[in-house]
Amino acid sequence: MSKRLYSIISKVMDIPISEINDESSPESIESWDSFNSYVLLDELETEFKTEFSIDEVVETKNVADIKKYLKKHGIELND
Amino acid sequence: MSNSEKLSYFLNKAKKLGDNNFNNKIRVAILSSFTINGLEESLRVKLYEKKIDCKTYVSGYNQFNQEILDVSSKLYKFSPDLTFLILDTQSTLGNLFHEPYSVSSSERKKIFDEKFDDLKNLVRSFTNQTKSKLVVMNFSIPSYSPYGVFETKVVDGLHNSIKKLNENLANEFLKNDSVYIFDFNSFVNQYGEKNIFDVKQFLFGDMKVSLDYIPNLADEFTGYIFAVLGLTKRCIVLDLDNTLWGGIVGEDGYDGIKLGAGAQGNSFIEFQKYLLSLHQRGILLAINSKNNPDDALDVITNHPDMILRKEHFACMKINWNDKVSNMIDIAKELNFGLDYLVYFDDDPVNRDFMKSSLPDVLTVELPNDPSQYAIILKNMKEFNVLKITDEDAKRGQMYVQQKNRQEFERSVTNLDEFLKQLKLKVKIKEADKFSIPRISQLTLKTNQFNLTTKRYQEEDIKNFVEDKNIETGYAQVEDKFGDNGITSVFILNKRNPKEWYLDTFLLSCRIMGREIEKCIMSHIISKAKKDGVTIIKANYLPTKKNKPIEDFLPDCGFQKNEDGWIINVNNKFKSPDFIEVVDE
Repeated sequence: MSKRLYSIISKVMDIPISEINDESSPESIESWDSFNSYVLLDELETEFKTEFSIDEVVETKNVADIKKYLKKHGIELND
Repeated sequence: MSNSEKLSYFLNKAKKLGDNNFNNKIRVAILSSFTINGLEESLRVKLYEKKIDCKTYVSGYNQFNQEILDVSSKLYKFSPDLTFLILDTQSTLGNLFHEPYSVSSSERKKIFDEKFDDLKNLVRSFTNQTKSKLVVMNFSIPSYSPYGVFETKVVDGLHNSIKKLNENLANEFLKNDSVYIFDFNSFVNQYGEKNIFDVKQFLFGDMKVSLDYIPNLADEFTGYIFAVLGLTKRCIVLDLDNTLWGGIVGEDGYDGIKLGAGAQGNSFIEFQKYLLSLHQRGILLAINSKNNPDDALDVITNHPDMILRKEHFACMKINWNDKVSNMIDIAKELNFGLDYLVYFDDDPVNRDFMKSSLPDVLTVELPNDPSQYAIILKNMKEFNVLKITDEDAKRGQMYVQQKNRQEFERSVTNLDEFLKQLKLKVKIKEADKFSIPRISQLTLKTNQFNLTTKRYQEEDIKNFVEDKNIETGYAQVEDKFGDNGITSVFILNKRNPKEWYLDTFLLSCRIMGREIEKCIMSHIISKAKKDGVTIIKANYLPTKKNKPIEDFLPDCGFQKNEDGWIINVNNKFKSPDFIEVVDE
């Protein structure tokens, strides 16, 4: 679990935290359309004070990918 | 406060707004040259929070030309009250944006002139087709230039050409009441080009205002909507201790309060300076403070660093009454509805009390840090109007004269004596091009002493002035305390040479109770007599607010018949003798 990350996803996608897991993706979450994925990445960048590269944005397919890139940017997700 | 909310808040809340029965309604269309998702959601949510029902129409991606040129487009079917045309420099300039110096300077100038003509024609097509007001964004000037440091040395370079295009746009519509230019370039300056323009969002989705700042843009747009709906706030009511100065004058004393001298004291000076600038354009200031009046007045009158003095306040309630009663008294004295008032108080308990007791008053949330007060004031969109007349600028001063009048009224016990001593002088004139804006404004704003509450735009008044069968008159009222300015309007329909019809008769609340209406009516009747008219007809159209004028027609000797009120101009009519009438 990573509370901060999940609460942002929950807020942007307008779904309960309990419905989010590593496999969550545009395929499994109805509100996760292409526009909302920009909104999500934008709000993650602001919240975690980081910036995803254009390759990372393209490669992000699900929550596990987001975690992977945040960790790569040195962000701890063990809250 | 939703101001700090991120876009996702607005996107999700917009889905859940549901139905409302708000009195204030507006239809807003958004046309854009790029992807601007989230703007209409932000706008609807922000307006919902202000109890405004907003219906929106958003045109398809980059469809603005077709929508405007096609007379049967969805845009026109939607029939907006207000339309935003959102253009960006890059898509407008096309190749020239990246390659401004691929062409000669004369060619560049030609291209820019063409762009201006295209836009001018597009706007003209729009205004020919609909009554909607139009807000056109101007163009942001990019910081980059291929010329680098040499850019500022080129007369018709990229940056100067965009600047000129913006100037041309502003000048073209300067006198047009249906078209407004939103200074998008200064919006970008305010938040910074690198924040507003997010290169990744641009590359992925042609978004030219980054998602983070969409709610801020919506905020700017609400300013136009408040103005169009006439929801402008008219008066800022201020607490004193820790709001206009630091500390508590009753405890810290005249010398102990923080005002000027040092960063903390200067925060209050800064706040006062911005309040003064609003006062100078016609927003009234008032005080609502629990204090010993002598202590507080000593600071206001004598403190060397005070910016705001007694003459800037239209009303001062400095006493030990509760602040809600004071607020009600202020509204009463100024003849305002509570929804015209904004309240600034540093104390959260007072604010909560005000918000729960008088929800119509806009109570502003303030942080503990006084250095933020001026910034919060500057960011408020509630003082916007679509027109500022010379009268507005004088309004603050006029209300101070009004305060002197009221004090005088209290000191004279006999009303007749008071009116006599007031030395009233009424100048009655026919409308001319200088008075048209004010006349229109009075018909739009006057609610209480207004016989028919017919609302007329400037265009309408202009047409009346040109029409020989219609007389538009106004009165300017002076007394020994000063000039009240143009405060009364009447419109007569003279199409029938024997029977005139009184289409409009109104008096600003500022001059009610002085029998001025009678001397204007007397002027109308004697003029009718002179022109060989036998009767004048009129109607009283009751509204929720115009009870004060209910008895006016019978008081003047009008008789009721089946379709309204009528007076024979040969009836004796006595004009008040304490008013000097100047017929010009």
